[in-house]
Amino acid sequence: MKRLLERRRRHGVPGLGLLALALALVSLLGGRARAQVLDLDLGTNVYLEPSKTSNLTVINPSVGVTGHIAGVVSIDAHYEADIVSGATESIKGGRLATVDIVSSATKFDDVRHVASGGVAITRENTNLAVSYSYGTESDYRSQAFAVTAGTNFFQKNTEIVLSYARGFDTVCTTAFAQSDAPSVRSPLDASDGCFTKDDDRAERDVSLDNFQAGWTQAWTPVLATQLVLTGALQHGFLENPYRAVVIAPAGDQALENHPDNRGRAAMALRARLYVRPIQVAFSAGARYYLDTWDMFGQNYELAAERYLFEGLRIQARGSYYTQTAALFYSDDYTGGEPVDGPNGQYWTGDRELSALHNLQYGGRLVYAKRATRDARFLGIFLGLTATAAFDVIDTSLDRFTWGGKDPDDTLGMLLSLGLKSEF
Amino acid sequence: MKQKLCLIALCGAALASSACATVRPEQRQLLADPVMQFNGEDPDARAKEHVLEFREGSNGRGSVKGGGCGCN
Repeated sequence: MKRLLERRRRHGVPGLGLLALALALVSLLGGRARAQVLDLDLGTNVYLEPSKTSNLTVINPSVGVTGHIAGVVSIDAHYEADIVSGATESIKGGRLATVDIVSSATKFDDVRHVASGGVAITRENTNLAVSYSYGTESDYRSQAFAVTAGTNFFQKNTEIVLSYARGFDTVCTTAFAQSDAPSVRSPLDASDGCFTKDDDRAERDVSLDNFQAGWTQAWTPVLATQLVLTGALQHGFLENPYRAVVIAPAGDQALENHPDNRGRAAMALRARLYVRPIQVAFSAGARYYLDTWDMFGQNYELAAERYLFEGLRIQARGSYYTQTAALFYSDDYTGGEPVDGPNGQYWTGDRELSALHNLQYGGRLVYAKRATRDARFLGIFLGLTATAAFDVIDTSLDRFTWGGKDPDDTLGMLLSLGLKSEF
Repeated sequence: MKQKLCLIALCGAALASSACATVRPEQRQLLADPVMQFNGEDPDARAKEHVLEFREGSNGRGSVKGGGCGCN
């Protein structure tokens, strides 16, 4: 979605077939509380950045169906879309640049489609899952395979989960030759002609390897912790194909130029504690991130959740995140060291590679109802969970400007609605 | 660097001692409750992670499903 947010166009939202199939299967169920055979997940997320310049809106509907066979095998299929509209700044310059970046922002709209499916096998203490996903948009295609294995031991007090995912992505760019100097490469101005035989377009590969290990531990009847280690290797075209960066005092621009490789590692430690006297579950967590582009990120989060009455629970949450800039980041590549100017052989206009910090706060309401041992409720449901969440993300960019002006799109709001039905 | 090594050592010691931590099945009622579950798979957690992918430079913010209740 990151690239999608920059600029493109596409239309059409399939996925209703998946929903129709699920509803047809549900209609075959009787009213008795037999074993769970089907889950249906529906969701919609809406993300807004109420900015005069970009006014970004992302709508993310999704539908997922999981079928359970004999309590051992489950098969799932999932579809989601990112429907994006807004405006984007396709040129990056700093306070010394002579380009009016805000006025150069252009409107765009586009849709990304992602379909995925998988199979999971669960035995008494172990589980194994494999999945595949395919995503397409006008200028980007992605495929990923993932395998996850988990087990628990020490009387189920300890749970270990290992996963690996491999992604094979393709991004559309202008048809520059690999031997062309980065300073003469041009950005895309539109996605027209992408993934066709158009002589002005080319396809570049991106490979992604993701590793994750999770250890969840129950320490007491009211305390559990989780340690998650994550590693990622990215190789290929890691730039935004649309973004140009002003790289010379005379105003010369070139497609942004990132290293072809990036190694990333993160460690997250979380704890949950239930305080009986006030009947509140508290959660605290910290996450640390490092990568080979010399970025270091830290995140600290707190949450509290309790039941308002049976079935309905409320959570309040907040977190603080801060990161340093990539080694080669500069707000303006045209000036002199050290404040503004080139930082090595690469250049970028990506705000997420700049030093920034943000404050996230919000909450959610969850209502869950389960069938009794004897009968489904409303004739067909074994379980029903409805979720409504709202979060605010308030970002401060420490040294990222649009030609010297502070971006006005640093406040984001996320509304998330979900409905999970178990049949 | 010294702080990071201490943290890794602390984690290793915790893992090594985890065999001593025993919560009996009949004591897991609270651990099995949704309020005590690590919620990386929840739809709102996934949505937030999806947004932060393009608003932060780091990754690895997800948690794995689990709650130490043996119910997953």
